[in-house]
Order: sequence, then structure tokens, then C-alpha cells
Amino acid sequence: MSAPGTGAARYIGQRVPRKEDARLLTGRGQFVDDVAVPGMLHIAFARSPIARGRIVSIDTSAARDLPGVHAVFTYEDIKDQQADFLSFYLAPIEVRVTPLADGRVAHVGDPVALVVAQDRYVAEDAVSLIEVAYEEEDPVVTLDDARNNPSIHPDAESNIAADMGDEDIDDNLQALLDNAPHLITHKVIHQRISQSPMETRGVVAVPEGPEELTVYITCQSPHAVARWLSLVLGMPQGSIRVIAKDVGGSFGLKNHPWREETSAILAARKLGRPIKWIEDRLENLTAANQAREQEMTLRVAFDAEAKLVASHGDYSVNNGAYPLGADANIAVHMFIWPAYKMPAYSFLSRGWYTNTIGLAAYRGPWAMESLARETALDAAARKIGVDPIEIRRRNLISLKDQPATSGLGVYVDDITPAECLEKLLQNFDVAAFRAEQAAARKEGRYLGLGIATYIEPTGAAGSISVMTGELAQLRIEPTGKVTAMMSTHSQGHGTQTTMAQVIADRLGVPYDDVTVFEGDSSRGGYTPGAAGSRQGVIGGGAAIKASELLADKVKRLAAHLLNANTESIRIEAGMVHVEGAPEMSRTLRSIAETAYGEPDKLPQDFEAGLEAQYRYTPPPVTFTSAAHACVVEVDIDTGFVKIQRWISSEDCGTVIHPAVVEGQIAGGLAQAIGTVLLEEMSFDDRGNPTAATYKDYMLPAISDVPTFEFLHANTPSKSVGGIRGVGEGGAIIGPPTLVNAIADALSQFGELPVDLPLTPSKLLDFIEGRPVRKPKEAKRAPPTPASPPPSAPQPAAAAAPSATAVSADGDWAMTIHSQMGAQEMKARFSTEGGRLTGKLMSDQGDQEFEGRAAGDTVAWEMKVTKPVSLTLKYDLKIEGDKLSGKVKMGIFGTSKVTGERL
Amino acid sequence: MSEHRINVEVNGRQQHATIEGRLTLGDFLRVNCGYTGVHLGCEHGVCGACTVIVDGKAVRSCLMLAVQADGAKITTVEGLASPDGALHPVQQAMRDEHALQCGFCTPGVVMTLAALTQDGARPSSETLLDAMSGHICRCTGYQGIRRAARKLAGENS
Amino acid sequence: MKPAPFDYVAPRTVEEACQLLSEAGGGATVLAGGQTLMPLLALRMSQPFIIVDINRIAALQGVSKVSGGTRIGPVTRQNDALVDPTLKQALPVLVTALSHVGHHQTRNRGTIGGSIALGEPAAEMPATAVALGAKIEARSVRGVRSIAAEDLYLGPYMTTLEPDELVTGIDYPEWPAGTTPVFREVARRPGDFALIGLVGALGVEDGRITRAGLGWFGMGATPIKARQAEQALLGQSVSGIDVQAIAELAVADTAPFDDHHASADYRQRVGKRVFARALAEALDIRQAA
Repeated sequence: MSAPGTGAARYIGQRVPRKEDARLLTGRGQFVDDVAVPGMLHIAFARSPIARGRIVSIDTSAARDLPGVHAVFTYEDIKDQQADFLSFYLAPIEVRVTPLADGRVAHVGDPVALVVAQDRYVAEDAVSLIEVAYEEEDPVVTLDDARNNPSIHPDAESNIAADMGDEDIDDNLQALLDNAPHLITHKVIHQRISQSPMETRGVVAVPEGPEELTVYITCQSPHAVARWLSLVLGMPQGSIRVIAKDVGGSFGLKNHPWREETSAILAARKLGRPIKWIEDRLENLTAANQAREQEMTLRVAFDAEAKLVASHGDYSVNNGAYPLGADANIAVHMFIWPAYKMPAYSFLSRGWYTNTIGLAAYRGPWAMESLARETALDAAARKIGVDPIEIRRRNLISLKDQPATSGLGVYVDDITPAECLEKLLQNFDVAAFRAEQAAARKEGRYLGLGIATYIEPTGAAGSISVMTGELAQLRIEPTGKVTAMMSTHSQGHGTQTTMAQVIADRLGVPYDDVTVFEGDSSRGGYTPGAAGSRQGVIGGGAAIKASELLADKVKRLAAHLLNANTESIRIEAGMVHVEGAPEMSRTLRSIAETAYGEPDKLPQDFEAGLEAQYRYTPPPVTFTSAAHACVVEVDIDTGFVKIQRWISSEDCGTVIHPAVVEGQIAGGLAQAIGTVLLEEMSFDDRGNPTAATYKDYMLPAISDVPTFEFLHANTPSKSVGGIRGVGEGGAIIGPPTLVNAIADALSQFGELPVDLPLTPSKLLDFIEGRPVRKPKEAKRAPPTPASPPPSAPQPAAAAAPSATAVSADGDWAMTIHSQMGAQEMKARFSTEGGRLTGKLMSDQGDQEFEGRAAGDTVAWEMKVTKPVSLTLKYDLKIEGDKLSGKVKMGIFGTSKVTGERL
Repeated sequence: MSEHRINVEVNGRQQHATIEGRLTLGDFLRVNCGYTGVHLGCEHGVCGACTVIVDGKAVRSCLMLAVQADGAKITTVEGLASPDGALHPVQQAMRDEHALQCGFCTPGVVMTLAALTQDGARPSSETLLDAMSGHICRCTGYQGIRRAARKLAGENS
Repeated sequence: MKPAPFDYVAPRTVEEACQLLSEAGGGATVLAGGQTLMPLLALRMSQPFIIVDINRIAALQGVSKVSGGTRIGPVTRQNDALVDPTLKQALPVLVTALSHVGHHQTRNRGTIGGSIALGEPAAEMPATAVALGAKIEARSVRGVRSIAAEDLYLGPYMTTLEPDELVTGIDYPEWPAGTTPVFREVARRPGDFALIGLVGALGVEDGRITRAGLGWFGMGATPIKARQAEQALLGQSVSGIDVQAIAELAVADTAPFDDHHASADYRQRVGKRVFARALAEALDIRQAA
């Protein structure tokens, strides 16, 4: 794995001490609450105690009068400043989001006002003096509520926040499902999760005059935050510097700032003072965006040999009131079957608005695919009467089956879940376990074995505009030591360590001589950050490429100075050697001193100094594969689950640092254990969160997590360095592995409903034959709504062509507002009676179409081939010189369309 | 609200301060004394990140008022390593065993282990692991923390 | 999550403390170990005018043998009690119960009296006091009185202590050597409040139950004495006990409710099993000894 001309790999693959640890172990890390700036003030928020309603009045006078209070702001006070919220993809948010509530509240915890005070104590005192009168309305809380009630948002047509896939199942697929020898219908209910990084959200906003702003914020990428803030606040990006040295975990929560961070920045700019907001745990559990809360019904058909025939998935996710970008989670469907020989799959996927805290990401946001598939396979195996291992062996794609492309277009050519499974089975004696299980059963003890396999898309870049490559900027300083400025950013990932290992290896210098700087938007370059298990793959590749460029530069200079061939120069342990001439060896320092300080000695055209940078864009996606096994014992008297053993067999390609890799897997598995057994963020009928402290939101403790065993396979990926991502896998593969083990232990009692978390109460109900979940009546809208929501389209009188039809004819500037951002194009319409002909023109090319015109509406369908083959169905309405409507984009759901006559 | 003069020895240094009665020990150590290694993870006594040693015992600094510490001797994570920078045995064990990732819960974990192993005490791994149930770590899955605790108990990991 | 403003006083004597409580006219809250009170203050669920910190009253600390039993000073730290040789010998079941209270770090501050006076229904110490027949000494400027633990609790965090009263001692009656301890706790994680808790002691002489003190925690709005089960056990020969029937009686005295962690139904169903298992094991151990 070593580049020619540098020493053999000495650090990659080693459990070297982490660079981060010395400061973190001695309390000298710099988390956002550790930042203090002279003159800094503190914020506390007044928050809505109701889930839905109108704000009748806000009285802040008593709060303003409290000594120590500098300001109290409501939306009215800060609305003069731009805050156009964007999603992670930098697309406009689908419904209107304001930093503080504007006239209405949409969930308990909705920020209504903020107090700026000398310290947090006084700020909280003042919050308690703010009086808000509300006109409360019935909240929409659950997915069922959302389906059965009018829109919670005045500016949305319905509670469907996002939808993808098809409501109507294709006839051929239906026939395959209907006619298969075996069909299972498998429902999975996943509770809501609080990401719960141990460091809550927080920001210190430091305005430096009217044109500059420094923001200390706990986040997943300072670069992404700087870009987001620049666009949201309408400030030039160069004027915003974002710093986040140490981050106490994130797990998807801190992808980008949201309402409170933005409010704090606006308040700081308004007052011209540095302001700190540190979210407390009560706020974190009751007002920070959360994750999951999904339901999925997966139908899977098998032939007589238990081979996959067809499948259909129906998926819903609670988006809450203000998701960080509305989401129907297409990745669930993209990645559910590509590791298996699945001939046919289709789906319907919807995100729903409710009066609850908005949706954010959580480690492996698409993890439902593995949970639904792997638990369905076990349920099918039990139903058909084959071994769960056997059903996987018959259906998994192994290396010899590749390349292969899934029905939804996911191409795989180096995945190894089947191979990981075989390796796992070489290290776990299933037959011996089954014997032990049978013996235990005779003693009234219920043991279970769960096995699950999966692939994970990692290191994605290039297919979505914000998902870029990573940048490495390297210097060999005049002292001979190496400084790296990386776009990577650790929230516990240890990238200062892993990147230094890679650089030390590829440059031929001691690990101790490499220092990695990250966590500052003024260093390195844009990256979306730690999102999608990407830093090892892409940052690693960038570090390798930049190291090679720099090594070449050293060699060229050394060859010149030492009068040798470039090919004969070797860099090892910080020394530069000439092959076969040990007496010629020089320290890197002496070469560097010359490079910087003695321009006369440099070769012609040689740029002085020893610096190099490389932005690496990897293949669009790199897959990691794994198979896990877990053994549990369930106490059938109490419903408690004890995990006895857990083995991970994963293939993440080149392992830079085994302890870092295992740490990532173990952390994900602990979260999986929490998901399956402990954690539950729920709401009562009025939308009040029922777990506001860590007494009620139960995170796994040391006693809940067993000692994991690890098996590594190392199939190099096609990315530079052969690395595969490993950040999210444990949280994806863990839940089905553990659910399968519990279901196996309890199989004699029937088919365990997958309704997370599997609490002792629920398991005991199942064991003793009672319904596991008491059916909850969805709140339904009154049969005759008093008045339609303001934004609801008035029933069109235009069923028949209107006499005064507005002409669509002519050229239009048209915008499609998709989840991935706005797409601009030009449209030309020409109508003749009910017939429409036209042309769409964009920088992607021109395309003609034919369709229908009726009254003030035009509609047409057109096929496109990029990014995948699909049919677009446009449905637009013309009003004078404006047009509006929607386009249904097959699996990618429906997007709004707007336009103006040219 | 009452104000109080207190005198506390923190990491070997006397700290004199006049404080409000409601100020928590955690805030006092972080804000008044500058020991920001004391991390406030939940402020209701569950996560353990704010654990410090007060008069020889590991306690949650969010569950004590600063005024209650008047006259006490306190050690925070900043007070463990030798002046020459050598890590305390607990810190070294944590580093060797890769017992931390983001490092936010880490100071609390270190302080509990340091309290239980002070003055040459060598408690059993059961005792140390039982005390570890008072710390929430969201990153590591506790693998390295368990190994470090066993190492400190004298077991081979 | 910062406490609302309050005045803080730390009296050195019981008399001083009682005087302060009397003057506060109900606006004071006593601070003992603070391991439950501090979160309530931080969440502003408790907003007293005055905090009376009793940690500096030396007379309220320590464990002592007294005639007729053992006296624990209310400000005795839970971890100190856990290793106290007198308690280990006199009230082993109390020591077992203590090891389940919170975590090592909270037991270093948490006190026996604080836990008893707060009256969390799912906590170990109130139920242990109820089961073992402890008496709570409460003092005020008006005088001193002794309250049977089972008469102390009205509901979650509600007791019959008057606002001006201070707990000055917990008196546990003597349970002779050889008493069989009974303890079971079902909790989601170590240190969590119990879903189901059972604590108590059985006196056995010549193969018969001569004394029974059994209490539940987590099984209702207060710690609950399993009175019917106690009555049914008294006088019975150990070999003739119908464990299931006694367990049925024990659960009949409980009144649990649904919460975020478990249903009432779960608590009673499993409570009965836990009781039956615990009783059978306790008596088997006794018979074998």
C-alpha cells in the first residue's frame, strides 16, 4: 500500500495514540461553551408550551425591566434582518420558517422570544417574566393524525411534506406479489430518537463591526455552516468565519444551524455584541430537531425455494413541524435491495408534517431499509421453514454475481456482504449455539441468535451539489515538520489522528511530526463535513494525493541539490536518502530550509517552499459491507433482554486505525441497542414530549452494552487508498441484528411485531399473547371543516373550458423547486384547442413535448433519462403572467413549479 | 437573593469568590475558576460529565451549589496530570485503551476512576464498572472505558 | 436550566435550622444531599425563597446503635452508610437496598434522610423504612414527634411533614440476627428508579414466620406496605407457605400506574412473579442455613 519512493506503511493499520486525546483527557479541549469573548452576553429562549395555536399577545415589559437584561426580542424585533432558511442541500425550506415564531406556534418548544442578559441565570429569570397569550388549537401529533387532518401549515396544501414513489402499484409487480408461493407482509414501527450528542447545540456569535462575523458553533462542518449562513443571512461568505475546534458528538443533529443558532446570530448583529447560546438538556430533548419516527410496511414475495421474487415498500416518516428540509427518505428505497438478488421492487414514500419537533438526520438516516429487510427475511425464513442463514445465502449478491445493478439503478461491483457472512460463520459455531439454545429452552431459558447482513453507501460525492470532495493542504515547514490543513472535521471521529497517519505514511515522516488542523472555515476548503461516512474515504484520499504531490516536490528538489536522479530519492522517517549513497542522506529540515530560504539553489521553475494541496473527488459512492451476529437471553417472566455476545464482521477496505474503526462500529452498535431496547421520544395527545430528561429518555449505559468482537475484511475500494466509510454502519446493522435475536428467542410465541423500542412491557405482552400496542385513535378532522385553510386552492370552476380562458401561449421563465434545489429553465407553450405543444430549454439541453390545455391549465408528460429514467408529469395553472403548479417526478416525488411570462 | 463569600481550594489553588447562593458548583468551576474541562452535559445529574472530586469523593458538580463547597478541596480534570505534562495513570489508561472519541463525557469518566484509584487504591473491576454506570458516553459504546477500568483494576485487558 | 434566585442559609445546629424553617413560614426548602432537589431547582420545578442547607449540622450525621434498634442521622451519606459496619450487621437489607440507590457519584452526596423525606415512590429508601417499620423523628420549634414511616407518605413527593419540620433521625427497630432479608428490584438500567421494587425482612423461628415487614416501591403513588401478605405470613410454617397465594395478596395492596417506562399491568403482573421468586428464594436460603 505504500507509494514508491517513501517508506513502507508504518502507521496505516496501527493503533497509534490519538492526537486529540492529550487535550481532551486533560480538560483542555475547546467546545463551544468553553469559548468566552470579552463583553459576551447570554441568551435564553421563551418557548411555546402548546403544540399548536395562534399567538394573541406577547408582553415582554417585565422581562426587559429586570436588572441584567440587555434586550428581549420577538420576531417583530428581528424581522428586518434576512433569515431565509435553507436545507442541508441548500434548497429553500418548503414551508415558511422564521427564527422566532411569527404569530403562530407549531410545536411545544417553538421559540417565541429571546432574552439577552448578562448571564444565563438572569436570562432564564427574565424568560419566566415573559407573558404570552395563546389561542390553542388541536394539534396534529402522530402519522395517523397527519393523514387524517388538514395541513398544519397555512402555506402548505396538505400535511404531506414530501412524497416519492407511486401510489398505484404497477400491475406486473402486483401480479408477482400475488402469484408468488410465499408472500410476507411485514410492518416495522420505529420510534422517534433524540440524537443526544453529549454536547448540546450552541453558538457564540461575535460580530466584528457591520461587515465581519466570527461564529463559534458546535457543528459537523465549519465550511458547510459558513456557506449556509452566508446564503441564509445574505452576507458575503468571506465575511463569516466559523470555528469549531472540538465538537462533543453530533450524529446528524448539527448538520447545519437552525432557528436558535440563527436567532442568536441575528441578536448579536442587532446589538453589536458577542452573544452565547448554549442549549441546555431540557431544550435539547424538547426543542432540538429529532429523528426517525417511521413506519414501513414491506411486502416480500419468494418462490418455492425461498428466492426473492418481488417486493413493495410503503414508508412514512414524521417530519414534525419544521424539518431541516422536508424528507420522504428515498435512500431507504435506493438501498433496500441492491445487496440482494431482487428482481422487482416499487414503493411509496411520504414525509408528513405534524405539530411536533422537526425532523433531522441521525446516524444512518436511511437505516430503516436494513431494519425492515433483515427482520422481514427472518420472519420469512420462519414462515417458509428455512434457516435464516440459508435464506441469505440463497439471495445475497456475492462477488461472483457482480457487477450488478438494482432496479432503482444502484450499481455494485465490489460489495462483500455474502463474504462477510461466511467469515462471520467461520468464527461463530451456529450448530453449537442451536444445541445450547435447545438445552436452555428445556430449563425455561430463552436464548436467541440474530444475524443480519447489509451494505452501506459511504463517501458519496459528486452526485449532489453540496456533497463535494475533500481538500488537503500540506506544508513541510522550514523546520521539517508537517502541517496539514484538512477539510475533515472530527466530532469524535479522530480525523486529526487518521489523517496524520495517512500523511506520515505517504510522505515518509514520523507520525509525531505531522500536525493536522481542522475545524475552521478559514482553513482548508468547502466540505459538507461528517455526513454520510465520508471523511476516511474522501479526506483520506485527499491526504494521500496531496502527500504524493508534496513528496514529488521534495524528491525533485533533493535530486537537484544532491545531484541525483529523482527516482533514486527516498523519504523515510523524516530523512531524505539517495539510493545506494547513504552518505548523501539529508534531513527533511535541511531540504525545507533551502526550499524556503535559498531561492538561488532551487531548480528552474521550482516554486519556493514545500507546499501542496489536492481536492479529491472519489467515485460517486463507495460501499461498505458487513454481517453481524448477536446472542441474547430473554427473561420471559420480566421481558428483559440480556445481550450475551455480539460479533461484527465488516469489510471497510483499508483500515487506517483499527481502534478508530472499531470505535465507530461500537458507538453505532450502542446506539442500536438504545434504539431497540431503551430510547423513546414520544408525545402525548396534546403534543407534549414525554421524555424531557435523561431519566426518561434512556441512553444506553455501560451495563447495557456488551463487549463486541470484531472481524475485519479488507477488500480495497476503488477510491484512492482503498478506504471505505465506517461511520454509520453500526447504527444501521445493529437494530435488525438485535431484533432478529429477540425474535428468534421468542419464536415459539409467534411472530414478534417489530415495534421499537422493545420494552420489557411490550415483550411481556407479546410473550403472554396480549396486543403489543394499544390501538390509538387518530384524531380526525371534524367532518365538515368550518373553513378551508387559507392556502387551500378554491374549488376550480374550471372543470369545463372557461370562455375567458387565459392563454398559455408564449415563453415563460420557469423554476422547479425540488428537494435538491431550484432548477431554472425556459418553457415555450403553444395551444390549439385542447392540444398543447411546447419545449423546455435549460442548460441541460432542450426537449419538446405534447400535452393538454384546458381553461387556464396546461398538463403534459415527458420522459427523461437523467439521473435515472423516469416520466415527469407537469400540471400547471396560468394566472395572467404567472404560472404555478407541480411536477410529479416518479420516485423523486412531487415538486412545486413557478414561472413568469417572458 | 443572598450573596456569599467562599474560599475553595481547586487543583491546589485557593479560590476566593463572592457568589450567589444559586450558583452551581459546575458553573463556578467553569466560569469563575476557568476550569472548562468540567463539562455540563445534562445539569440534572444523569450524564456524569461534570463529575469532579470534592474532598476525595467523586460527585456531580451540577448537583452541588458552589456555596456548599466553601472550605472544600476540589480536583477537576485539569488538576490530574503532573506539572511536567505526564498524564495521570487514569488518563494514560484511557488513552492507551482508546476510551474516548469526542471527549465530552471523558473528564467525568476520568474523575470517577481517579477518585476510586487515589492513594494507591486498587478496587476490583466490578467496583469500577459499577461506578461507570453513572456515566453516559454516546460515542464509544463503552468498549475502551471498560478496558481502561479493567486495566486500572490490575486485570489484563 | 439554572435555579431561580433564592436565599441560602447553612445553620450549624438543629435549633437554628428549626428556627429558620419556622420563620420562613413554608417558603423554605431543606437541602440535604441535593441529588434530587438540585435537578428540581435547575428545572425550576422547585422555586423556594430560602434554601436551608443542613449539611453543616454535625448532629444530623452518622449511624448509631440505640436501645431497641439503629438510628441513622438524616444527613448520613448513602455511600458512608453502605460501608458502615453497624448497619451491615444490624440491617443488611438496608445496605443491599442502598447499593441500588442512584450511582456511586450521587451516593457520595445523597443522604438517607433526604431520600426518605422527599418521598419518591420508586426510590429504595422510603420503602425500606416502611417495610422495616422505621420511625421518623421530626423536629420543629413547636416540639418533636415521631412518625411511623408508613404514615409519612401521602403521594409522590408529598409527606405528612409540616413545612417547619426537620427530619432529625430515622429509627429502625431491631431485626434480630438471622432475619431473612428480602430484596428485588426491576429497573431498566442500574441506578434508575425501579419499575418494580420489593424490600423487607422476615423473622423465622423454629420454622415459623414470626415477623414480617415487606414494602413495595415503584408500585403506586407512595411506598406501599404489603400488609395483607405480611398478615398471611405471620405464624405460618415455612414449609407450608403457598408462595403464589402470598404473592397475590402482596400485589393486591399495590396501586401502580402507567408511565413512560412501563404499564400498571406490567408492574402488577411482574410484581407478583418477583415477589414469589424473592419469597421462595429467601425462605429456601433460610431453610438451608
